Amino acid sequence: MKIRFLLPHKWKRVGWWISVPFLTFMTYCLISSYQFPFLEYRAPGSDPISFDQYFLFTLTSHNFTADIGGIMVIIGLLLVAFSKERQEDERIQKMRLESWLWAVFVNSVLLILSIGFIYGGLFLTVMAYNMCTPLILFIARFNLVMYTEKRKLQKEVQ
Amino acid sequence: MKNVVKIERTIFGLTQEELAKRVDVTRQTINALEQGKYVPSTVLALKISQVFQKKVEDIFSLEDND
Repeated sequence: MKIRFLLPHKWKRVGWWISVPFLTFMTYCLISSYQFPFLEYRAPGSDPISFDQYFLFTLTSHNFTADIGGIMVIIGLLLVAFSKERQEDERIQKMRLESWLWAVFVNSVLLILSIGFIYGGLFLTVMAYNMCTPLILFIARFNLVMYTEKRKLQKEVQ
Repeated sequence: MKNVVKIERTIFGLTQEELAKRVDVTRQTINALEQGKYVPSTVLALKISQVFQKKVEDIFSLEDND
């Protein structure tokens, strides 16, 4: 069976190497509001607290720590999520699809609860986390199902 | 859908691993299939019946609730 849109298995390891350190770093940044000083950009004579800067080419002041970190986290998680297993077959494809359905469903429920119960600055933080939660939920569920299946088969053999 | 993959595999003296290799799937898939926990695609069903040199309907059959 031909499988489209999945990367070779080796990219999964690369994904873990990118996503784990950047996810840890980004969580630290969100909690402590840390920003790298060398990623600070400010156009000469600009107002540092101007909020009317919506696009990259109209920015007059910005720190790019969160932007670069966020991009790296998403790239890492995408590599983990969209890399083939060592031996990918149709049943694994089915488990992959089921895990996606589960992840989108759980993420939507969490999102609805957040919209209903969380307001102000904390809601923006929740939204920031929500950029990665569908991928994280999928990876967690898919790997858990794969691990459970493997353990079950090992027990049957013994 | 029920199947007689386990019986046919035993007749042919194949292990789950060997059958899995022949039809290009994982051993877990053959195990799940034999236990009735997984319904294979048409391609996989045809490949399995080819290994056992039988018609698909001799290996796989519908149940009342299908």
